[in-house]
Amino acid sequence: MAEADLVETITEALRVLLPEQRWFAGKGRPVHGVRALRTTELSGPDPALIHAVVEVDQGEAQPDRYQLLLGARGELPDSLGHAWVAATGDRAVYQAEHDPELTSLLLGLMAEGVEVGGLRFTTEPGATLDTGLRSRPVGADQSNTSLVFGQTYILKLFRKVDTGRSPDLELHRALAARGCKHIATPLGSIEGDLDEVMGPGGGDSTVTYGMLTEYLRGTADGWAMATTSVRDLLAEDMRADGSTTGVEHPHPEDVGGDFASEAHRLGQAVATVHADLAAALGSTPAPDGYLDTLADEMHEKLDQVLAQVPELGAHEPALRATFDAVRDLTAPVPLQRVHGDLHLGQVLRSVTGWVLIDFEGEPMAPLAQRVAPASPLRDVAGMLRSFDYAANHLPLGDADPQQRAVVALEWTIRNQDAFCDGYAQVASDPREQHVLLRAFELSKAVYEVGYENGNRPTWLQIPMEAIARLTTDPAPEQYRPGVYSDQHDL
Amino acid sequence: MSADVRNETPSDLEGVPHTGEAVLPDGHLVEPQADDFRHAAAAPRDLHWYKRAVFYEVLVRAFHDHDGNGTGDLRGLTRKLDYLEWLGVDCLWLPPFYASPLRDGGYDISDFRAVLPEFGTVEDFVELLNEAHKRGIRVVTDLVMNHTSDQHPWFQESRRDPEGPYGDFYVWNDKDTGYSDARIIFVDTEASNWTYDPVRGQFYWHRFFSHQPDLNFENPEVGEAMIDVLRFWLDLGIDGFRLDAVPYLFEEEGTNCENLPRTHEFLKRCRKVVDDEYPDRVLLAEANQWPADVVEYFGDPAVGGDEAHMAFHFPLMPRIFMAVRRESRFPISEILAQTPPIPSGAQWGIFLRNHDELTLEMVTDEERDYMYAEYATDPRMKANIGIRRRLAPLLDNDRNQLELFTALLLSLPGSPVLYYGDEIGMGDNIWLGDRDSVRTPMQWTPDRNAGFSTCDPGRIYLPVIMDPVYGYQAINVEAQSNSAQSLLNWTRRMIHVRHEHPAFGLGDFTELGSSNPSVLAYRRHYAEAGADSDDLVICVNNLSRFPQPVELDLSEHEGGVPVELTGGVRFPAIGELPYLLTLPGHGFYWFQIIRPETERDA
Repeated sequence: MAEADLVETITEALRVLLPEQRWFAGKGRPVHGVRALRTTELSGPDPALIHAVVEVDQGEAQPDRYQLLLGARGELPDSLGHAWVAATGDRAVYQAEHDPELTSLLLGLMAEGVEVGGLRFTTEPGATLDTGLRSRPVGADQSNTSLVFGQTYILKLFRKVDTGRSPDLELHRALAARGCKHIATPLGSIEGDLDEVMGPGGGDSTVTYGMLTEYLRGTADGWAMATTSVRDLLAEDMRADGSTTGVEHPHPEDVGGDFASEAHRLGQAVATVHADLAAALGSTPAPDGYLDTLADEMHEKLDQVLAQVPELGAHEPALRATFDAVRDLTAPVPLQRVHGDLHLGQVLRSVTGWVLIDFEGEPMAPLAQRVAPASPLRDVAGMLRSFDYAANHLPLGDADPQQRAVVALEWTIRNQDAFCDGYAQVASDPREQHVLLRAFELSKAVYEVGYENGNRPTWLQIPMEAIARLTTDPAPEQYRPGVYSDQHDL
Repeated sequence: MSADVRNETPSDLEGVPHTGEAVLPDGHLVEPQADDFRHAAAAPRDLHWYKRAVFYEVLVRAFHDHDGNGTGDLRGLTRKLDYLEWLGVDCLWLPPFYASPLRDGGYDISDFRAVLPEFGTVEDFVELLNEAHKRGIRVVTDLVMNHTSDQHPWFQESRRDPEGPYGDFYVWNDKDTGYSDARIIFVDTEASNWTYDPVRGQFYWHRFFSHQPDLNFENPEVGEAMIDVLRFWLDLGIDGFRLDAVPYLFEEEGTNCENLPRTHEFLKRCRKVVDDEYPDRVLLAEANQWPADVVEYFGDPAVGGDEAHMAFHFPLMPRIFMAVRRESRFPISEILAQTPPIPSGAQWGIFLRNHDELTLEMVTDEERDYMYAEYATDPRMKANIGIRRRLAPLLDNDRNQLELFTALLLSLPGSPVLYYGDEIGMGDNIWLGDRDSVRTPMQWTPDRNAGFSTCDPGRIYLPVIMDPVYGYQAINVEAQSNSAQSLLNWTRRMIHVRHEHPAFGLGDFTELGSSNPSVLAYRRHYAEAGADSDDLVICVNNLSRFPQPVELDLSEHEGGVPVELTGGVRFPAIGELPYLLTLPGHGFYWFQIIRPETERDA
C-alpha cells in the first residue's frame, strides 16, 4: 500500500486522537474530519517512518494544519503500545516520536543534508552530527514536541504548521551568526514547502517542521530558580513573627536565597540578546502613527477583558490614561525583532550563565504579528511581570496575607530593579522610557486578567493587584535605577 | 619599623641539635643531619595513597598535652593516634612545628632542622612517624621555602657578613624600588615589599611580613640548601610536604613576581628528588589561585604531572557554603565546570574549614559581601579576607546541614581534609584574637581542660570552649564515642563508606543536571584499567531546607540497580525514563549502581 493511502485509511482514528494531544490548538471545538495534505515516506517498509501534514476540519474557513510523524510495523513491541494509533492491513500505525529507532533516522537525514519528497534536511554551517544517539520525547510544551537525543541535541518539532519560516529558527540563526552566548546553538533544521496546497504565488510557502539545537544539559529554568528564592524568603518570614518577638520581617536583600545577582545577570543576558538581534536584523525608529496604533491595540485588549471581568472597571480610567500617554511620546521609539513571549519560564540557567529559549513569539498570535518588529521594552515588561508572578504564586499557608504581600512586593521590586540594572549595563536603561514600559506592563497585566479569569481563577488576584498597584504608584518612585545593591526600604 | 637585632642564636635550642651550633672554617654553619637521629619505619608501599586518603589537619599545640605544661605537644599527638586510626584518618597534616619565634604562627621558621621546643624534639617527631606508620597513617607537614624568619641563622649571617657564604642567601639591594609590579600581600601591616636593614645597610625583599625575608633562589646554593632540608625530613620518614607560598620563589623585574617559569623549574627539581629517592612521598602546593592557574603547579600532564602531586582547590569551599545558603547548585556547578582536567598523577585537596579563616580571596567582591552577610553576622567573625569560624557554628549547629556538608566534602572530586574537632562539631571563640578562635584545645572529655591537659586551667595556651552549646561538657569525644547516633560516629561511618569505594578517590566526576536547581547530583566512576573492578557511585544532594523531587537522566545505566551505600537498601532498577527521587530537606543519597546480572554471589 502506498504510504499516502496509509494516512488516508487512519483519518478516522486521527479524528479521535488529535484532540487528545497536548499540542492540539482547536480544543473544545468539534472535529468534523481530518485530511492528509501531504505524506512523505522517509523509510520503510517495516518499520516505516512517514512524515505527514494533515488538515483538521473544525468548520473554520482556514483549517489548522498539523505535522505528524507516524511509524508502521508488522509487529508493535510492547514498549510502543502506548503510542498505538490504528491498525491498517497487516501493520500497526503508531506515533513515531516514541520510537528511537525511527527518530534517529531524522538525525541521519540532517547529517546527510538531503531532500526527500520535498522535505529539506540540513545542518547549520559548521555543524557535524553524531547520528548514533537515541532519542526520547520530553517536556510539557503546549505547541511542540521535543526529542532529546542522548543528552546532546534537542529536536523541536513544530506541531501546528504555518507557512513562513519559524521565527524560532530565524532568530536562532541570526543570533548564532553574531556569536551570541545566550542561546542554544542551532545545529540543523527540517523545512519544506506547502506550494502544492497554497498554489504558487501565495506568498512565502516555506514551512519549518523542525529545529535541532544543542541540548543544554543540567539547566534549570528561571521560574524554578526564582521561586526557590521566594520560598526561602517566606520561610525566613515565618521565623520572624513580629507579634511575639518584635523581630521585623526579613528583607529579600538580607536572606541567603536572594535572587538579585541572578536577576542582574539575567538583565544583562536579555539586553545582550536584544543588542545582537538589532545588529543582525536591524533596528528602525517607529514609523508615524505607530504609537497611536499601539495605544489603540492596548485599549482594544482592555475592552475585551473588561467585558469578561467587570471588576477591572475600577481601574479603567487609570489604565486608559496610561495607554493614552503613549500617544504623546516624543522621543524616538526604536523597533526591532524581539523574543515576543519572554518570561522566567523561557530562560534557562546553565553553568555558564543565562540562555533564552523559544523565540516563537506570542503562541496564539498569527505569524505576521510574531515576526513584526516591536519595542524591546515589550520583552522587558514580560519579564517584570514574571517576577511579580514568581513572588506571589506560592500557596499562602498560614502566613498573614497582608505581611506576605509586603514581603512578596519587596522581592518583586528588588529583582525587577536588579534585572533593569543588569539590562542597563549593556543597553539603555529601560526605566528611562517609563511611560512606554509602564504601558506594556499594564497591558500585559490586562491580558493576564483575561487569561486567569478564563483558566486559573485562583491566580486572578496576582494581575489584579499588580494593576491596582501600578496605576496608583507614581512611576518615578518605583523605577529607581541602581538601588538593588543598596539598602532598600519601601 | 626595620627588623632590629634580636638575640643572635635562639637560646631555647640550647642542648638540642640545631643550625649554627658550630661554624666551619669557611664560614658555613654546621647543621643537624638526618643520620644523627633514628629513622622511622616506612608506611606501607602505595604509590597513589594520596588520591584515596582522608586527610586530617591537626594543630600540635591544640590536640593533646603530654607533659602537662598547658600546650599540646608531639608526644600528646602520638598518644591520640589510636583515636585517629579508629576515625579512619589516612594522613595527618601538621602545620609547622619547627623552631620559630612564632610571629606568624610558626610559618616564620628560624631553624628548618629543629623542632619548636614546646612541641618536643626531632626524636619525638620520629616517634610520632613510627607509631603513625604502624597504624597505616601517614604524616605530612608544612614547609615554607620562600622565606625564613629574620631569626634564622642564615639571615643573621647574611646581614652580618655580605661576603660570607650566606651573604647572597637573601634578596638584598641598595634601593627599595625594584620589582615594583609585585603586589603587597599583607596590605594591613606592610607598606612595602622592601625593608631597610641597619646592620647590613641595605634593603631586603619580603613578600609577606618584614620579619620574614625572602630567600634568594637566584643563588643556586639556596636551592641546594632547601632540597637538603627536604632530604633531612624525608630521610627521617616524613610522607610529604605542603609547600607554603610556592608562587613567590623567584623574582623578575617587570613581572608581578608570581608563578614565574623558574619557580616551576625549581618545583620540578624538588619533584625529581622525591620521585628518584623517595617514591611514595608527596608534595602539596599551596597556591591560593584560580583552578586554571593552580593546575600549572601539577606540571606536565603528558607525564602524569611533574611538579606537585596535590594542590588545594580554594574556590570550591566558599561556593559550597553559598550554594547551600542559596539553595542553588549553580555556585558549585560553575566552579567545577571552570576547573580544568588535571594530570593523571595529580589530585585536588578539598576542605570545608582549616586553621586559617574561611578564605574568601577566590570569590568576587559581590560574593564576599554575600558570605559576610550570611555567615559573619558579628563583625568579630571576620578576619583578613575571610570568616574565622568553625563549621558547626557556621551552620547554626544544624545536624542536617553538618551531615550534608560532610557528605559533599567526602564525595566531591579531591581528597578531603578534615579539620580537627569538626568531627565532633566543636565551636569557636570569636573573642580570641586573630585566628585563634578556631584553634582552641581539642575536647576529649567532660573533665578539667576538656581532657586536653592536666595543667592548671589558667596555664592553658587558649581557654577551652565553655559556652552551653559547644562547651566541652556538652561536646567531647568521650560522650560522642558512646552514642551511636553522634556526629562523630556518623562521620566515622561515612569515612569508612568512602574507603570502600575507589570511585570517590580515583574516579572521574560528571555532574548530572536536572531541572531542579536545588539538587546537585553527580556521578563518580572508576574503572581500573585491565581489571574487572568497576565502581560507579551516584551522589544526590538536596541543597534546600525543603523536601525536593528530582528526575535524573540515568538512561546510560538502564538496567542498573541503585544500592544506597550507608544501609545497603536496593532502590528500583533504572529504566529508560528519568529516575525519580525525593529527598528530605538538606538530605543526600550515595548510591552504588550495580548490575544484577553480574552479581556473582547473589
